[in-house]
Amino acid sequence: MEWLSAMNPAEGLQDALRWIVLFPLFGAAVNGLLGKRLGRANVHLVACGAVFASFVISAIALYTVSFGDVSRITDQWWRWFSIGNVPVEMSLTIDRLSAVMMCVVTGVGFLIHIFSTEYMSHDEGYWRYFAYLNLFVAAMSLLVLGSNLLVMFVGWEGVGLASYLLIGFWYTDDAKAFAGRKAFVVNRVGDFGFLLGIFTLVGLFGTIEFEQLKALSASITPDTVLEAGIFSGWTLGAAITMACLFLFLGATGKSAQLPLYVWLPDAMAGPTPVSALIHAATMVTAGVYMVARLSFLYAWSPTAMATVAVVGALTAIFAALMAYAQNDIKKVLAYSTVSQLGFMFIGVGVGAWWAAIYHLVTHAFFKACLFLGSGSVMHAMRDETDIRLFGGLRKEMWHTWATFGISTIAITGVLPLSGFFSKDAILHGAHANPNLFFPWVPTFTYAIGLVAALSTSFYMWRMFNLTFHGERRGMLEHRAHEGGNAMVGPLWVLAGLAVGSLVWGLPLSGGARFENFLKPVFRAADENIARMTALGAQKLGVPVPPPPAHDFAAMLPGYLIALVVALIGFGIAWYLYLGPGKDIPAKIAQGAPALYRAFANKFYVDEFYQAVIVAPLSATARFLWRVVDAFAIDKLVVNGSAVLTGWIAQLFRYFQDGNVQRYAVVMAVSAVVILWIFLG
Amino acid sequence: MGSVPLAHYLALGSALFAVGFAALLVRRNALVVFMGVELMLNAANMTFLAFSRAHQTMSGQAAAFFVIAVAAAEAAVGLAIMIALVRNRNTLNVDEVDTLKY
Amino acid sequence: MTEAMLFYPMALVAIGGALGMIASRNPVHGAMYLVLSFFGIASVYVLLAAELIAALQIIVYAGAIMVLFVFVIMLLNLNEDDLERPRLTPGTIFGGAAALAFWMISFMVFSDLPDQTMPTELPEGFGQVASVGRLIFGPFIVPFESTSILLLVAMVGAIVVAKPRI
Repeated sequence: MEWLSAMNPAEGLQDALRWIVLFPLFGAAVNGLLGKRLGRANVHLVACGAVFASFVISAIALYTVSFGDVSRITDQWWRWFSIGNVPVEMSLTIDRLSAVMMCVVTGVGFLIHIFSTEYMSHDEGYWRYFAYLNLFVAAMSLLVLGSNLLVMFVGWEGVGLASYLLIGFWYTDDAKAFAGRKAFVVNRVGDFGFLLGIFTLVGLFGTIEFEQLKALSASITPDTVLEAGIFSGWTLGAAITMACLFLFLGATGKSAQLPLYVWLPDAMAGPTPVSALIHAATMVTAGVYMVARLSFLYAWSPTAMATVAVVGALTAIFAALMAYAQNDIKKVLAYSTVSQLGFMFIGVGVGAWWAAIYHLVTHAFFKACLFLGSGSVMHAMRDETDIRLFGGLRKEMWHTWATFGISTIAITGVLPLSGFFSKDAILHGAHANPNLFFPWVPTFTYAIGLVAALSTSFYMWRMFNLTFHGERRGMLEHRAHEGGNAMVGPLWVLAGLAVGSLVWGLPLSGGARFENFLKPVFRAADENIARMTALGAQKLGVPVPPPPAHDFAAMLPGYLIALVVALIGFGIAWYLYLGPGKDIPAKIAQGAPALYRAFANKFYVDEFYQAVIVAPLSATARFLWRVVDAFAIDKLVVNGSAVLTGWIAQLFRYFQDGNVQRYAVVMAVSAVVILWIFLG
Repeated sequence: MGSVPLAHYLALGSALFAVGFAALLVRRNALVVFMGVELMLNAANMTFLAFSRAHQTMSGQAAAFFVIAVAAAEAAVGLAIMIALVRNRNTLNVDEVDTLKY
Repeated sequence: MTEAMLFYPMALVAIGGALGMIASRNPVHGAMYLVLSFFGIASVYVLLAAELIAALQIIVYAGAIMVLFVFVIMLLNLNEDDLERPRLTPGTIFGGAAALAFWMISFMVFSDLPDQTMPTELPEGFGQVASVGRLIFGPFIVPFESTSILLLVAMVGAIVVAKPRI
């Protein structure tokens, strides 16, 4: 602990960063290996303590990079290995971006650990649960802190593993184990793209260190034709686009974007606090973080940026539509998460980096709160998740109702709360940032974003109203009860954060606080965008467009539109589910059954994947199993060789009967034959 | 019909060897098998001496001398084994001595 | 003239004795036939100008080894039931055929040899005791001494193997 007493905190932090990873890792090891003998209280102490220790270090690091002399601290851990002359360092770096991420991961993680101590109080596998959860925090820290792509990839895979383990936590249930497997397999597709992206960057730049890439990216000329390597003949710009698209494929897997979002709704099979931590607040935002981390590269590729923005927008609207007809409280939240992640990708896709990260942070707060609230409801209602059976829970669960309500207001983007500012910052960025290369992208993403925001408002209020208002519709004999302090406390803290984080996003003159805070991190990206825009303007023969205006007057119409949209959504939800139009939803469902079924069945995307990808693969696998493995290899080759050996042995057994004279006969006959061959 | 050519001596040696060989392979009495071995040693001696005579060198005779000495040693040990065999298994039939397969 | 007159009858005696040995059921008869064969062989040795070896053949083989054989046969005291009955088995057929084939091959090889006659003149004292002794105690002294050790070992081994209890 000498680093605490060091004079310069930045100097001490160089050796302390690794402990952000190591504390939860040790916690996971202790709980995983000894947890069964430690007892419940000790397991809770180890798990929460480890994450809290990481949070303290992260907070100190955040303070240091915010107010200290240095904006970047690097912990050079050890030289991992070298590929050719590309050294791969096991080193951790913290700057303002990763410091914010770390505080969210460990802070929200700590709250969720606290919540879990009560939520999992009836489960026998609690020690396993906390070991996995700590493992997740460790892997996520590695992902965020890694100073190069490969360390990030280790964390990337680590969170995937932890996610798989926790989704399938109740592995005796086939459906849940299957959900874990699905998440893992779908993520593998994305991870493959991520790896290809890394390889491409190594081939192009010969380094995977973020800082070196950033330095190199300043002097890129996109029209250079590459001479060597597999990209010879391509222009540098095209190769960078390729790398960025590969990396984005990885992001679509991890962050549940089209077309790889299908695992996230099924991931709700895991314990609810896990959904809050992994599948809402932190892990699924890793893709956004990665794109933001490599923003200086994406800046050079308008195609990749447009792809990111359009995929984000489509995901936002698509997931929001699917959430309309879901009746499972966690599924609604899952589709909402997918949709909000789409918003974040719109942000990074249009160059509003800070807005994406800001939305990431606020989303982490209110979505974690929502998930924990749903967990609280489930805890009270015997693990029931069907919102059609709920209703009127406000009377029994006041704390949950209040925090859930605050978070719902935040996510739907009603004025005074953080979600309004973060979502609007993205929408503002979408239509204000000029795009020379794809002029339709700002309009398109802005329009889609507005519709998605309207949908968000509608389905969130629908769920909220169905759950907490009106009269109880099912489980009438069951009396719900509010959880204890360990559950209510984190809810209130998160709700408070969802409200309090608005101060960073207030549209002050000269930019929001968060924007200015992250400006050093994204300076390289902004400069590269300016360079690319200048090049493009030169090529197209148009003047360089001015940077987006920052004054309040220019943003006011956007704000008003967003607010109106949110209120319309709220109004429709109130009218249909609480107000006079209560019987209209049923009428719609009856009047247009095909439409309703399409919504309820999530547009048959899972069935489509099942038919197009899973079924042929499984047929191939069945062929390989039944014909190639079971018959050809097992029966013919393995057993066949054994049977053949048996036959031959049967033949030679005659000669091996222990009769020495017969041995002599064999020898004599052989000798005569040899004589015949050589002399006869 | 004066002197006998070398080939005839060699043919006699090979004939003796073949008979000894046949005794070794065909007979089941261990003693007769053993006699067959002695006969084969003599056949070898016959060729040694024939070549010694043909090449006018005495080395073949020295070799024959050693063969006789080795045959004597072999006979001593071999007959001791016969006695042990009869004592332990009460047979001289080589067909019944088949423990080598274990 | 004399050589040929002596060689072919003695060769016949040697082969006839050997065939008698292989054909007799009783091992005692077989041993006697073998002694006969050894005498024939010894005579051929004399024709090959190997007087010492011929003498050793009589003394060691026909005298010592065959007496030992007969002695052992008597010791084992075989009765009629222990005598083997000729049987035609794959082993005997193949064994006999192999022996026959061996003889035929060697006969073919030897009949292809050029008709080399023995040299008529021999060095002074060829095959005599003195010259063989000079050879054995000269260049062959090491094998000779090894042979004496071999005989000692064989003696010890024979006693160890044959005695029921030591």
